[in-house]
Amino acid sequence: MSKQPARFRVVGAACALGLVAALLTGCGSDGGSGDGVAKLTFAASTFGDPGRGPQLTAWLEEFNKSQDKVQVSAAAVPYPTFGQTVLTQMGSGKGPDLVRFDMPEFEAAADAGLIAPLDKLVDAGKYDLLKQPDQFMVHDGVRHGIIFEASNYAMFYNADLIPKPPATYEEFTATAKSLTKGDVFGLAFRQTEAEEAGVWQDIFNYVYGFGGAWSDGKNLTINSPENLKGLQAYKDLYDANVIPRGADAATFRRMFAEGKVGMELNNGGYVTATRGQNPQLNFNVAPIPFPVRKQGAILAPIVINEASPAKDEAATFIKWALEPQNQVKLQEILGASSVATTTQRSAASLEKTPFLTVFDELTETSLPQIVLGFEAKTPDIRKVVVQNVIAALQGKADLKSALDRAQQQATELVG
Amino acid sequence: MTVLDQTRAPGTTRGPGARRRRSPLGSKWTPYLFLAPAALFILVFQAVPLLQEIYLSFTRTSLLNPTRSEWVGLGNFNRIFGDPDFRHTLLITFVYVVACVVGAVGTGLVVALLLNRGFRGRGVARALVTIPWAAPGIAVALIATWMLNAQYGIVNRLLDAVGLGVPGGAILDSPRYALPAVLATTIWQLFPFTSVVLLSALQAVPQDLNEAATMDGAGRWASFRAVTWQVIKPTVGLLALLMTIWSLRRFELIWLMTKGGPVGATETLVIDLYSQAFDSKELGSAAAIGMVGVIISLIVITGSRLVARAVEKENVR
Repeated sequence: MSKQPARFRVVGAACALGLVAALLTGCGSDGGSGDGVAKLTFAASTFGDPGRGPQLTAWLEEFNKSQDKVQVSAAAVPYPTFGQTVLTQMGSGKGPDLVRFDMPEFEAAADAGLIAPLDKLVDAGKYDLLKQPDQFMVHDGVRHGIIFEASNYAMFYNADLIPKPPATYEEFTATAKSLTKGDVFGLAFRQTEAEEAGVWQDIFNYVYGFGGAWSDGKNLTINSPENLKGLQAYKDLYDANVIPRGADAATFRRMFAEGKVGMELNNGGYVTATRGQNPQLNFNVAPIPFPVRKQGAILAPIVINEASPAKDEAATFIKWALEPQNQVKLQEILGASSVATTTQRSAASLEKTPFLTVFDELTETSLPQIVLGFEAKTPDIRKVVVQNVIAALQGKADLKSALDRAQQQATELVG
Repeated sequence: MTVLDQTRAPGTTRGPGARRRRSPLGSKWTPYLFLAPAALFILVFQAVPLLQEIYLSFTRTSLLNPTRSEWVGLGNFNRIFGDPDFRHTLLITFVYVVACVVGAVGTGLVVALLLNRGFRGRGVARALVTIPWAAPGIAVALIATWMLNAQYGIVNRLLDAVGLGVPGGAILDSPRYALPAVLATTIWQLFPFTSVVLLSALQAVPQDLNEAATMDGAGRWASFRAVTWQVIKPTVGLLALLMTIWSLRRFELIWLMTKGGPVGATETLVIDLYSQAFDSKELGSAAAIGMVGVIISLIVITGSRLVARAVEKENVR
């Protein structure tokens, strides 16, 4: 028997092994520590915000300078695809070590077991946590997150265009209509399917501001008369052409900063971003003038990925972030938002931004943008509701039928 | 005598008693060795995912917990075919594919016929025509989105100027105009490819036949139908098949322009698949939609092969 085929078999086997090794290397974990230093990633859409992003990255650098065993780097994932991107990574057992979630994705991830319980990693009892937002961080007695940012929704208005802010819904619509002329619009909100999460945030204020709710805690109430009233108000404003139709949030927020939009309902986090876009803009903030004083709040927890190989090191970062001086710095960066613990606003920041107190006073009446009782299903319910509301906006169905359909579809979805 | 024998240099022929050293290329395993990388690639990146997709389509699997699957048999298929939204998606896919094929091949043919004629600056025109095809799909989608933007876009300004503006200006947010806008952008990107391919086919048309037809009194249309069309017909068929398959698979352009909206107006199969997998996180349903796409593709390919064979037989007769 010739030796040649045997040699070929050896070469062939070596090639196959090499290929398998290469594939395995390619698929392997990207690890965490080199030189005894744990390198972590912290994913947050806010790292990409104009104004706040660079300041948050600098805040992160302060942590890195204070540590010799843990280093955290920022991963800015754009807001519209943040939940989808990070949840997909986490579902496959990968993803960033630390994540700043919005509530719907936080609830879905916690329910799916993708978030590490924090009870053994962070002693939350040591800190003076704000009770109202913090209550949503615990599921069945298990803590899954710590508030990174809590931000109430209010009405931003251009003080040059609107000297006296509207105090009722009727004044609000009248102001929006009177301001709309040429390339200036009285109001702006999200209204395209491409911004599903954003539309949900915006319609939340209309639903709760007119006395509605997505559920009573046990059953969905998507098509309740109060919701219909609130969403009719939203649709009436859309139909009245007082908003820049088709403009996404990035566009209309730039328009607001340029003085081409009179009002928008937004959360406190955008004070810094708006100033970042136009430091000269003369804008102010007032409570949303809807019949019922209830509005949405962005609750953004910071969590540790269950798949992270460096949970203790990730907890080191959270503990550092919770230290009083770092909370104060974080709050200064986040502008009108609150942080996890009770902090005092500095006299300088109150002088620079007198309306910070407006946001603070709304905390008691603000609600996280989730469906109570169906928290983990919020992203699915959101999709159904937004699709049907947009169908009504586009004239494909009347609003009542659209809400009835959404109620039926969402009920089937949650079982 | 083999080719190798023929090319062997004189004087190098070994005698019957000479010890022959076997070339490593002469082993019976050599063809398999050469085929192995391609076979491995297909196995790893196509066959395994396809088998996995077939399996997934019979399960309820969440993207958040992909390792925990529940066997549901035909449940996903029953659900998607019972859903009127999915039937609407199939209709939109059909409209999109047919319009893309007709639009891209039709426009490409017209442009190719124009470019095949002699005129000054023909070389420059031929080069300019290829630009949309050369541009990356993402760039094309973003440019189109900006051109169609309700506030700043040039398209609505121009339509407004001639009294045809879309109310509110948001073309891509209108269920009525979104699909035509996406189709126009797709065709704009595709037609250079079809025109270049058809131009090369047109250059193979024997001019003497055209001249003979003209001398026999045939008009332009009759000459085109009897001579040119007969020569370019196989190329048109191939292009139609390629356009069909590409249009069935097209994702980035539609996703970037409309994400399948508004209200499902531009939701094709692949967009629906993506939404199911990554928005609804239902991998099982997404795999079932993918299987429907695979079956449609197989039907299209088999059908086109049968038609081509029938035409070939007809020509032989």
